[in-house]
Parts: sequence; structure tokens; C-alpha cells
Amino acid sequence: MKKGCRYGTHRVLSPAGTLPQPAQRLDNTMEVYDNEVLIDVSTLNVDSASYTQIKQACGKDAEKMKQMILSIVEERGKLQNPVTGSGGMLIGTVKMIGENFPKNKLKVGDKIATLVSLSLTPLKIKKIKKLVPESDQVDVEAEAILFESGLFATLPHDIPEKLALAALDVAGAPAQVDRLVTEGDIVCIIGGGGKSGILCCYQAMQNSGPSGKVIVVEFSKENAKRIADLNLATDIIVADATNVMDVYNKVMEVTGGRGCDVTVNNVNVPSTEMTSILITKGQGHVYFFSMATSFTKAALGAEGVGKDINLIVGNGYAKGHANLTLNIIRESKEIRELFEKLYV
Amino acid sequence: MKKGNKYGIHRVIEPLGVLPQPANKIDNNMDEIYDNEILIDVQTLNIDSASFTQIEEQAGGDKEKIAQIMLDIVAKQGKHRNPVTGSGGMLLGTVEKIGDALKGKTDLMVGDKIATLVSLSLTPLRIDKIKDIRPDIDQVDINGKAILFESGIYAKIPKDMPETLALSALDVAGAPAQTAKLVKPGDTVLIIGAGGKSGMLCCYEAKKRAGVTGTVIGLCHSEKSTKRLQELNLCDYVFAADATQPVPILEKLEEITKGQLCDVTINNVNITDTEMISILATKDNGIVYFFSMATSFTKAALGAEGVGKDVNMIVGNGYTKGHAEITLQILRESEVLRKVFTELYA
Repeated sequence: MKKGCRYGTHRVLSPAGTLPQPAQRLDNTMEVYDNEVLIDVSTLNVDSASYTQIKQACGKDAEKMKQMILSIVEERGKLQNPVTGSGGMLIGTVKMIGENFPKNKLKVGDKIATLVSLSLTPLKIKKIKKLVPESDQVDVEAEAILFESGLFATLPHDIPEKLALAALDVAGAPAQVDRLVTEGDIVCIIGGGGKSGILCCYQAMQNSGPSGKVIVVEFSKENAKRIADLNLATDIIVADATNVMDVYNKVMEVTGGRGCDVTVNNVNVPSTEMTSILITKGQGHVYFFSMATSFTKAALGAEGVGKDINLIVGNGYAKGHANLTLNIIRESKEIRELFEKLYV
Repeated sequence: MKKGNKYGIHRVIEPLGVLPQPANKIDNNMDEIYDNEILIDVQTLNIDSASFTQIEEQAGGDKEKIAQIMLDIVAKQGKHRNPVTGSGGMLLGTVEKIGDALKGKTDLMVGDKIATLVSLSLTPLRIDKIKDIRPDIDQVDINGKAILFESGIYAKIPKDMPETLALSALDVAGAPAQTAKLVKPGDTVLIIGAGGKSGMLCCYEAKKRAGVTGTVIGLCHSEKSTKRLQELNLCDYVFAADATQPVPILEKLEEITKGQLCDVTINNVNITDTEMISILATKDNGIVYFFSMATSFTKAALGAEGVGKDVNMIVGNGYTKGHAEITLQILRESEVLRKVFTELYA
């Protein structure tokens, strides 16, 4: 077997010197290097931004969408949408393991979900078996390569595959909350009603305990009600997160003017950086999970108001994140039912 | 005196409800101050370099025109926020009046010479006269007044060094102070963009905190800055490479650290596409500190996930408690750095 690089640079065809994600084109020959895993792919879970773009470009025509996905993979050796730059995840069965892939992690026949983006995963599609424009899960006959550094989760037997996939998609967020929040903390989750928000709320309630507080800021009344019904917060504020002073005043009221130890930002709209900064107390943490975060707005914003706080870039990966997330689904019947209803 | 808001919202004229920085127009009436404000008699404006370069180009290098553009900006907005670059700068001046609510609470006294460390892009300013423009160091001497809000940060100008030298170091005070907080004895530290102004200060502070058991690696770009940093003798290793090409740098770092990689990586380079090397250079559970304003949030977030790196990535905060003292102390302690800073920036 040929020797591969840990990060998969041996698969980069152009431009040379880059990593697989920014690369234009990857080598998707399905002959494994010594540190790779070959996967027999059953379902692609296309990233929602990418899927929406494909759907719009094809006028919701399933045949055209199939054609577009095939041609992206044909051209790039991976399913990285050229417009949005994003990928997605996949489910499949381990078919072959390179001799130098870390031992005892996987065996042939294991059913896994890859947790690295499709935007860097070598992929070859033989056939698209089922594509329904309304669902971003596409059933295929295909093969893919997982690099040595690539993340994956072995699919559990006690949770249906598609439910597991929906939860694993946002596994990073609750795992980071688990690290940051300790007993007695005041936590604010901005955008707490969405998929990752709900998981974050659950974990924050667990960690902050009876002496802590979990405050949810939600724009939609419906989502706020859901959080209240599921008992996932101690305080709920319905407000527009871009309206800095409104949210600030409401949070100060709830916290008796103290502000929050940890603020988690999950909203996918721009200009919520300042709100996150102002409601956090000195030496506290702001965790930005939102991909709409502007680096400069966060950096200059904190300096502008003289706040000595820790501003953290959300990392989708944390050790043990898949297990922690699946455990939430196991522990909380309510969240499981809700996810089954909404996302499967 | 009228009661003011901590963040200066009472000065915002339009649009209402926003903070002073994003506001288009703020009230720069200095005849009456609010109870939590400090009135400053301004001596020098240190315009942000991106902003000054833009103004200079627009004026075709003509000093009269530069002055006119600056006056127009302040007349229109009540602050010196460049409408093209969005950036401000800092100022040097003397405390003239202190609001009632701050008396006894602030360590400032009337007559103290201070530099404001919050951006001019949110500082109420009135310019009465532009006296002198020094284009090579982006400084403009004026007659004028400014307001510091209760939340505004400042540094007292020390008596043991020239004002311009202090000002040039305070401009980047956040980076070395954060380095001081992050680096622990024995750490392996990588400074990307180590040859620049904030990079050199970070190297010094990193070595001081990492100690004899630690390793500080300086990554530079140009031959000139590499040579300068080597001569300063602040780092254990210095080398030149293109930070946008991660693979060769990673190989070199693996060799230097014997495959262990870095506990702390500090990114100071103002060019795009250096997120990946910052992530790859750092060991699991290590810290990446992004000081570069050219950092892309999504490239950092998706990049770490893509290579399965469990690293803590932090957005550089220009402010941390005690940052001015830490930075000025470096210039007192290190004679070689003081000399380089005097030559290059003062």
C-alpha cells in the first residue's frame, strides 16, 4: 500500500500545497493508501446551505438535482458545492482499512457516520438511488475515503440511523457547553430554540445545576414556547438578538445586573456579536457557534466597550462530542421525540 | 450634570438604539459633559494606518487636503471614523474635566497626560485647528477636545519614555498582554508574523513566560524581518516561510518540536489564509490566538473540524486588564526592543 499523509494532502490534485478542503480537485481513485479507510456509502446528508442552492438552481427538479450532484463530484472528486463551499456528512459501511490506520478503532462491516465535511472527502458516486427535493438526505451507491485525521462516529444500535445523523450534525455545540459551564454558572443561550440550541440548553441545565441559571434568548415565540414546555431553561426572553440594548436590559434584569458567565451564540443572522459581548460579565466566555459571526466585529467590539472577556471561535469538533450528543438523545425522551418529529 | 450611559449611548444621535461605534452621527458638544464622562484636551491624533493611508491617497498627498478631509469627517459624524475603512485610531491628550459620578472612582486626575485606547471610531471629538501632520507615522497634532466614556479604556503616559514611543507600543498593547496570560512555564509557543510590531512584543513576552524550559518559535515572512528578529535574540528558533502554505511549515515544526507541536500559537499576520497553519501547528487541547484582523471566522471554525483538531481558538481581544502596563514594561526591560521601536516607529 502507498503511504499517505495524515491530513490527506496526498489526494490533492490542484492546487498543489493546499489541504483537501480548499483544494479545487481531489484524486477519488478508490484504491486505499496505508492510513485510509474505504467506505461503502449508503446516504449523503448534504449540508443545508448547499442543498438549498442546488434545489434552487435546478428548479426543484429531482432529475436535474441528481445530475448537478453527479457533475460536482465528477469535476472535483468530492461533493463540495462550488457556490456555498460547504459539504455535508455521509453514512456508510467500512469496506477496507489501511494497514497503518490507527488500530482498534474500526472493523470491516462497521456502520459509521463521517463527521468531517464532504467538502474534503474523496467520493465516487456510481448511482443516485433516491433523491426527494424536500429532504437533504440522498441515498446513493458510492464509495468514499476517510483520512487518518478524519472524524467518524460508529452508529449506535439503539437509535435509528437518520435520527443519529440529525443529532451528530451539530455534535460540537453541546460538547463545548459541557466543557465551559460549571455549577452555579449563569448561562445565556442566544438562539436557544433551534437544533443545536436545544442540545446546548439541555447540557447547560445539567452542568449549571440548581444554583445556576440558563437564560434563552429566542426570536420566535413558537421556539420559546417549546423551550418552556420542555423545561430547558430557567428564564426565557423573546427578543431580536440584533437589538443590543433591548436584550442587554432584559438580561440585566434577569441576572440582577450581573451579566452571564458563559454566553453561547447559536443564531445564524449577522450583527449579534455586540449583544453577546455586552451581556457577558468580565472574565466570562462568549462561545460563537454561529457561522454568521464576523471576526472583526467581535474583536473590535469587545475592545470598544473595554470588556476583558474570552471570545471563542466555535470548533465543531471536541473529543467525545459524538457520544455526548447521542447520550442526550438517550437521556431525554422529550428531545428525542421532538427531533424525530422535526428532523427525521 | 446629566446622567450618562456607561457605553456612551446618550451621545448617539442617529440611528437611535445603536452603540457609538456603529452610529453615523454622535453628539460632540463639549460645553457640557455628562456625569460619567472625562473631557480631554487633545494634543495628537494617532490615525489608524489603514485610515490614514486612504485619506492620504484621496488627498493626493497634499497636507491641506488631508486636513480638510479630516475636518469634514468630524463635522459630519462628531467622531473620526473613516467612512471608507470604518476604522479610527487613538489620541493623546490631557485630562481637563472629570464627571461627578467618576470622582473618587477613577485613578485619573485633572492634568494627567493619557492615551485613549478605545478607537477614535467611537470617541466624540471636536477639532478646532489642525496644527501639524506627520504622514510617515500617521500622527496629526491638533487643538481640540474629546470625550472618554465610562467604559472607555486609557493609559497614563509614563514619564520615563518619549510620548511617541509609548504611543507606538500602546497601539498594539492587547497582543503581548494576552500572550502574558496564555503562556505557561515550559510551553512551546509559535508566533506567526513574529517580525512585525506586535509580533516582536509577543516574542519577548512569550519567552519571558515560557522560561528556560519553554520554546519560542518565531515565523517571519520577509528576509529583512527574519534577520532583524534573529539579531534581537528573543526566540529559540526563527525561520522564514509563507504562512499561507501550511505543509512545509508543519514539517519544519514537527522537526523542531519532535512531533509534539505547540501549546500556544499566536497569529499576528495581516494577510488572509493563515488560519490552517495556525490550527495544524497547535497540539490537541492547545490554544490558537488570532490577533490578525484578516482572520476569517468560518475558515477557522470549519478548518479545525475538517482536520479533527480539538484546539481552542480565540478571537483576539484588544483589551485585557493591565495591558498597557505589561506592554510599556517590555520597553523598559528590553533595551534592544526599545532601540528597534525608537528607530522604526517613534
